[in-house]
Amino acid sequence: MHSPVLFQLVVLVTSTFCAVWTADFPGSDASVISEILEPVGIAVESSPSSAPPLHRQYGVDTGKIASAAARAPVITDPMVSPTSPPGNRHRETEPVSFEIVKWNWEHAHGPFLVAVWIMVASLAKILFHLSSKVTTVVPESCLLILLGLGLGGIVLAATNRTEYQLDPKMFFLFLLPPIVLDSGYFMPSRLFFDNIGTILMYAVVGTLWNSSATGLALWGIKQAGLMDEKVDAGLMDFLLFGSLISAVDPVAVLAVFEEVHVNETLFIIVFGESLLNDAVTVVLYKVFNTFVEMGSDKVRAVDYVKGVASFFVVSLGGTVVGLVFAFILALTTRFTKRARIIEPLFVFLLVYLSYLTAEIASLSSILAMTFCGLCCKKYVEANISQKSRTTVKYTMKTMASIAETIIFMFLGISAVDTSMWTWDSALVLFTLVFVFVFRAVGVILQTWVLNRFRLCPLDRIDQVMMSYGGLRGAVAFALVILLDKSKVKAKDYFVATTITVVFFTVMFQGLTIKPLVKWLKVKRSNQHKPTLNEELHERAFDHILAAVEDIAGHHGYHHWRDKWEHFDKKYLSQLLMRKSAYRIKDEIWDVYQKLNIRDAMSFVDQGGHVLSSAKLSLPSLPSRTSFSETSVTNLLRENGSGVCLDLQVIDTVRSGKDKEDTVMHHVLAGNLYKPRKRYQANYSRHFISADEQEWQDREVIQRNMRCRLESFRSTKHSVYQSKGKSRHKKSQKKHRSSDVNGEVPNGKPKRNISWQDTVPVVMTMDSEEEEEDNSEAEKEEDEGITFVARAADEVLLEGKPSSTLGVCQSPFLLPPSPTCAEKELPWKGDQGDLPACVSSETTKIVPIDLQQAWNQSISSLESLPSPPVSEAQQLQRRTVPPARLEERGAPAALARPLQDPRFQFPERATAAGRRSEEDSAECIQQQELRPLMSPDKQPRPGPSTGSAGARWPVQFNRAARVSLLKNLVTASPYKGSGQTDL
Amino acid sequence: MGNKQTIFTAEQLDAYQDCTFFTRKEILRLFHRYRDLAPQLVPLDYTSKPDVKLPYELITSMPELKDNPFRQRIAEVFSEDGEGNMTLDDFLDMFSVLSEMAPRDLKAYYAFKIYDFNDDDYICKSDLEKTLTRLTRNELTPEEVRLVCEKVMDEADLDNDGRLSLEDFQHMIARAPDFLSTFHIRI
Repeated sequence: MHSPVLFQLVVLVTSTFCAVWTADFPGSDASVISEILEPVGIAVESSPSSAPPLHRQYGVDTGKIASAAARAPVITDPMVSPTSPPGNRHRETEPVSFEIVKWNWEHAHGPFLVAVWIMVASLAKILFHLSSKVTTVVPESCLLILLGLGLGGIVLAATNRTEYQLDPKMFFLFLLPPIVLDSGYFMPSRLFFDNIGTILMYAVVGTLWNSSATGLALWGIKQAGLMDEKVDAGLMDFLLFGSLISAVDPVAVLAVFEEVHVNETLFIIVFGESLLNDAVTVVLYKVFNTFVEMGSDKVRAVDYVKGVASFFVVSLGGTVVGLVFAFILALTTRFTKRARIIEPLFVFLLVYLSYLTAEIASLSSILAMTFCGLCCKKYVEANISQKSRTTVKYTMKTMASIAETIIFMFLGISAVDTSMWTWDSALVLFTLVFVFVFRAVGVILQTWVLNRFRLCPLDRIDQVMMSYGGLRGAVAFALVILLDKSKVKAKDYFVATTITVVFFTVMFQGLTIKPLVKWLKVKRSNQHKPTLNEELHERAFDHILAAVEDIAGHHGYHHWRDKWEHFDKKYLSQLLMRKSAYRIKDEIWDVYQKLNIRDAMSFVDQGGHVLSSAKLSLPSLPSRTSFSETSVTNLLRENGSGVCLDLQVIDTVRSGKDKEDTVMHHVLAGNLYKPRKRYQANYSRHFISADEQEWQDREVIQRNMRCRLESFRSTKHSVYQSKGKSRHKKSQKKHRSSDVNGEVPNGKPKRNISWQDTVPVVMTMDSEEEEEDNSEAEKEEDEGITFVARAADEVLLEGKPSSTLGVCQSPFLLPPSPTCAEKELPWKGDQGDLPACVSSETTKIVPIDLQQAWNQSISSLESLPSPPVSEAQQLQRRTVPPARLEERGAPAALARPLQDPRFQFPERATAAGRRSEEDSAECIQQQELRPLMSPDKQPRPGPSTGSAGARWPVQFNRAARVSLLKNLVTASPYKGSGQTDL
Repeated sequence: MGNKQTIFTAEQLDAYQDCTFFTRKEILRLFHRYRDLAPQLVPLDYTSKPDVKLPYELITSMPELKDNPFRQRIAEVFSEDGEGNMTLDDFLDMFSVLSEMAPRDLKAYYAFKIYDFNDDDYICKSDLEKTLTRLTRNELTPEEVRLVCEKVMDEADLDNDGRLSLEDFQHMIARAPDFLSTFHIRI
């Protein structure tokens, strides 16, 4: 059945490939599982031996050729012999002896061949794309078919038999689902539902018309005697043939249209039709197949009625199955928080299950899968982590692409097999003509009807494209192969015709559709960036239209959409989304986020080389130095002061023992570098841990920062000590402002250098992380996402310097035109802004991934005490001293004096409540980092042990700090000014 | 068809036809829609041009509109008195603007008016904020709303005067080609 001769060579080259593949292939692919388990099943049934199942399992799982042989022969023989057909059996008669290497081809040939085929197909794909010239002219599908023809020819020449062809079972169970899943999941749902009426019309009426017209016309040709006498087919046979040949094929349409880039409406109509017509095709095919088997004379009226009924059952049933699974899937992902790593698996599993369930119940499986993917996406995307999202996306695309490649290649290979088809020119020719003509007629007639109802009518060019885009593909081929030769006598003719039609549509139409699109000037899809305006106005228009429809008492499309959205928001989303995800679900905010992240990414892209070079040659970058001088240090100072607010109060709270313990602990832990390889041992099946490299980088950063801060603080505290807490505010203010001025020249340059050390490291790290989200543990992901949405409340506590830093660099890199980012970002206005203000704005710009690194560095900042300084600074800020203003050279400071509407501490409480569970995870992480955030104590002469001690409890007890902060802020004048601004 | 003459005179119908993008048939259909809103208020005979207004409260209290964030605004924009009391003319105007025949500029103008909450012929930040809070049903914090508004303003404000003029708005809408093509209603 296989030709080891042919594959021996390949086998030698890729002998390890199989083992790798068996182990590496994602568990979601049921084909692998079944193929792996099949031999086991056989072995268990037929094996008379008492070999322990564990061994057997092992032997099967590793799939290594030598592994079985390497073990003791006593175990090996009973284990292998039942699974391996006669080829191995003769060995049993030989005297049992130890073999060093045993050729065990039977053992793993199934998966092996699959892997080899996938590899061949993928390699072919690479080859095609080596020359961009070819692929721009010839669609990939055509090339693959040609390749398949070539390979099939080689195999045929080598073995005189055709070995491989597109097996319908394999096609429907394994190859089609990835493509449907991909298309369903990534279907633009809004566009789809906007055009659902049109799509349904084409899918149902169009397919019915096509199949019946084609079938009848072919029958007419037969009756007229134009066809070969040997084509032994009646009306029912032709109708059956018509039903399978008339369905537009999703795989072919997708393959061709994706390369053409026609406008979205046109694409969604043709593609949606190709997906949804599955129900019609399935029913028609089954009905006519049954009729043919029964014999057309025995068909009664009841059977027709049953056929119609079955259409509704199949289509609606398929849809319902899809919806049910979508619901389950969404609900499941809501609870995967602790097991992030299997999130993508759930997506694939449940959608695939929906497909299989529909298949088992002989409902429309494509419909089930499409709707499952379409409907679950919104909730799943909101629930799963960023990393899982990326995984799902890439895995889906990879699998779909591979499946598509294999389908087209096997189509080519199958066509070589001359034994199963018989050529009849008249049948082939007329089928081609009819398929094309009836498609065109059907499209024109239906469009004429539809245009009376459609808001944006389809014009002539669209119609031409739609008729021309009616490609037939592998579905038709698989269906025709499935026909029973004994019942359908003309099967061979039909197979030949189907292959020709498929090849003609894919090759000829696929080749010509691009020039045609150009020639007809079909509206292309324009890939403009999404803008907030669009999002905003689209939604506003929706509401306005719904309102007007309601006023008119006209329950049209907008009315129902409005109702659905309302329902979704009120019930479904509540049920299916995590609370944290639900909060940020608002699309406008989403778009805003995306835009910001995009800005940040482009910024990092642009700045990447600057930063890396900065890392290498810091002193040679005067501009950067001066820049950080103005912003970073100022912000740091303010951050320190902001935190000091609560420290004063906490002073009185903690007991002495606690304090001492923690201080001791941190002094010890903080002054020891962590062993370099410490994190390497941490292996978790459930979480992807952050790179040790990252950890260590961070450690370095934190150390650097700590040193810097210490020097910084010591200058601060010398200032502080010269003043009294109880001093009169006015004098303090004066003192402080003069102090600041005096301090600047001395303190800054030194600090900046140390900053320069740290900054580039952070930034480059971020740029690396940016795209593949850093999700070391689920906490960060959720934290990051929710954090961004909640914005105002937490920022003060978490995101400060991250923002300031992320922000610091950009003025050099941003284009001169006033982008909104520029307007929003604090450096544009005033670095002297309140810390909270700065951070809340800018953290939104800094990608989520940065949070983690910053959380850590911040916490070390937060531990900066010097309470009175804060007060002084705060005061100073309120009466911005002119000297400082000039120094910053930012007149905008006056434009936004003390504007701080984000300073909303009360909200923090609710936020904390809402994500208390997340906090717990966070706490763990915090504790892990704790050693790093223990800066001072020794080098400082000591402002007061009380304040130093008070620092520690703060970090341990977030909640306490929050409430204290709240109290303090509500009491402080600071808050008052913020309130008025609000 | 005999009904037609008793509702409107031929001149009235002609005038309506001239002023709107509708045919006679559609005008009559819309009239019935209008009358359905308040059968007790609207007479069946419009030949004498009765001064009938649907009160603002009637429109905003419709159960279907309960969740719609723009119900008041629509009534205000399209009513002649600016207070939301709609005459038949206003009603016809409204649908005329939203019909497919209406030119894009007209649609853009009315869309602009709907956004312009304070009727100063500019969409300023406060207008945008109002729109946004209505759209998001108070799910965003004031701070978030402000940020989004700034971004929106930034995207569309070409002359950098901190507010959107009608020209800004039209330009912005023209950039997205199928933007107004969906701003239709079929009656």
